[in-house]
Amino acid sequence: MAPTQTSESPADVKVDTAAIRAREQVTARRVVFAGSGEPLALIGAMVVLIAIFSILNPRFATIENLQNVLNQASLPLIIGLGATFVILIGSIDLSVEGVMGASGVAFVLLSANSRGGQDTGIWAWVLPLLLAAALGLTSGLIYTMLRVPSFIVTLGMWFVGFGIATILYGTDAYPELTDDTITLWVAKITFGLPNVFWVAAILTAIMAIVLRFTRFGRVALAIGNNEEIARSNGMPIIKNKIFIFIVAGLFSGLAGILATMQMGGTSNHIGDGYLFITIPAVVIGGTSLGGGKGGMFRTAIGVLLLTILNNGLVLAGVSPSYQSAVSGAILVVAIVATAWPQRGRLRIAK
Amino acid sequence: MTATISDTGTVAVANAEKGKRLRTAGKLWQAGGPLVIFIAMFAVVAILTPAFIGSGGITIVAASAAPILLVALGQAFVLNIGSIDLSNAAITVLGAILLAMLLGPLAFAAPIVVLAMVTLFGAVNGFLLAYTQVPSFALTLGTLGIFKAASLVVSGATTVYVSQNKDVVSPLYTTQLAGLPLTFVLGVVVAVIAYLFLRFTRAGVGMTAIGKNESGAIFSAVRTRALKIVAFALSGFMAGLAGMTIIAQAGSASAMGLGSDLLLPAIAAAIVGGTSISGGVTNPLNVILGALTIALVPIATAAIGVAAEAQNLVYGVVIIVVVALTLTRSRTAIVK
Repeated sequence: MAPTQTSESPADVKVDTAAIRAREQVTARRVVFAGSGEPLALIGAMVVLIAIFSILNPRFATIENLQNVLNQASLPLIIGLGATFVILIGSIDLSVEGVMGASGVAFVLLSANSRGGQDTGIWAWVLPLLLAAALGLTSGLIYTMLRVPSFIVTLGMWFVGFGIATILYGTDAYPELTDDTITLWVAKITFGLPNVFWVAAILTAIMAIVLRFTRFGRVALAIGNNEEIARSNGMPIIKNKIFIFIVAGLFSGLAGILATMQMGGTSNHIGDGYLFITIPAVVIGGTSLGGGKGGMFRTAIGVLLLTILNNGLVLAGVSPSYQSAVSGAILVVAIVATAWPQRGRLRIAK
Repeated sequence: MTATISDTGTVAVANAEKGKRLRTAGKLWQAGGPLVIFIAMFAVVAILTPAFIGSGGITIVAASAAPILLVALGQAFVLNIGSIDLSNAAITVLGAILLAMLLGPLAFAAPIVVLAMVTLFGAVNGFLLAYTQVPSFALTLGTLGIFKAASLVVSGATTVYVSQNKDVVSPLYTTQLAGLPLTFVLGVVVAVIAYLFLRFTRAGVGMTAIGKNESGAIFSAVRTRALKIVAFALSGFMAGLAGMTIIAQAGSASAMGLGSDLLLPAIAAAIVGGTSISGGVTNPLNVILGALTIALVPIATAAIGVAAEAQNLVYGVVIIVVVALTLTRSRTAIVK
């Protein structure tokens, strides 16, 4: 991943530059290889999984099921993009499910629904997203200004969001979206892929560009790599962190709205289970929980791998009850595997 | 940040002063905070709904505080070594389900078998944490998923009822001591033992040492890895006791039923009880007050006219606010 430099030696110094150049080229090749080795291994694992599941159940490799997999992978991917940014700065966002619930319920109540509320048009999108961004902003502010560790802030914010969802939901009957065009749009196939996956794919490309080529993205990587150096170099750390939490909130909020559209209605529990797919997916994608290393496409691969695994297991006849155990076990194995080389008797891990 | 050389001295003095003030504030909070919050909460409920306090309301609060207290005590042990256990409430549910299933065939042996199992689950968490050195919140998030699935699979995703030998554990709930159900008394007894353990045994003091300064503890030959495993095992054990109180009270358990939302209330109870999330500070006796305060939250929110649905929101806000108010900060440390 790291860019390599080929430095020119000054002309007046007599050095055998050929040997140095050859050495540099080897290093450069190694860097390229080391950067792509991990994702390639994951893609290899994915191919193996697809092969195994195709043998176990012929229905697995059909076009319909692959579209189904992409459908299922879209929301964890969208959430994962925000989560990747948060994890890249070495923090964590546990509030995903609560934010999804809040925005999902707000969306359904602001759209034409079976409870008889009014369709507010564009506001049905704007207000829930603003709510989600506000929750992210609050997490970011408490995290940066009051210096409370992110896991505890977002753990609290998870239940604040869930509480907001529960209050908005109230005690009336389950609200369903009455406008079919909205509910059918997400699963509709355009150019062979479901619309919701197109949304996720486009957002992935945008976020990958933001991470790689904008000041915002580079500062985020710098913070994750070494916050002290980033700070002493005058980078806008606090602004960057707050903005990242807003982005994460927005993506969770968008996922909440899309989940509501997929279900055709919502309860305050709409986000349940998503945290368990997203965080393991980001981690097995190769984004390190310590920060500074990782990327959006890696998260996309991680999400696809987990979704294929879950989908394939269900098709192979494994009860869906096992799903959270699969994600949980993968999370444990992935973090243990990444932390393994850094073990040491004197190392502190909280 | 842009202090000139001549300023640095004064800044340092000012910081030291501020640090001293903060420490005194921290000590004051340690000594009286949980009690003050509990009394304030109790006053709100007593003034707004006098009928509730008169008509056996205290028994109800104590009964609902019992599982929260037990899970919170386990959490306090883990927080005390500077980690967090996000999986212990899931262990409570799993323990309750296992107990409901085993009471029939095993009768009196069932609680012992189940407590041994949940202690082992906790110890596995601790073992993984101590020997692989991964962050505890991520590790226990993963094991939370595993325990949750185990509950679903073991119970067949339905409610498990205790078929026979219900009276092995039900007296815990039905017997009352001075108007308090035995489940709560059990929690208090565990808290007292935990207090004595942390203050007066080598292992307990060692745990606090890990929380205060792990490097220091390692260099002082504290057996940090073994103690971490013990702390997590205790968290599992107490989660199992909480599962037992649930069976005593309800006579049934399910993966989605009573106890499945204990995580946040228990963390809140530990924190309101004066336990620091950065480790090294806890007082199990204050956790009793924390658990009672948290058990009063639903009643208090109802009393001030907020819908009962707001409970979760209140727990979330309580955690953030109390942590933000009581956290010891340093200017230079990096917060992740």
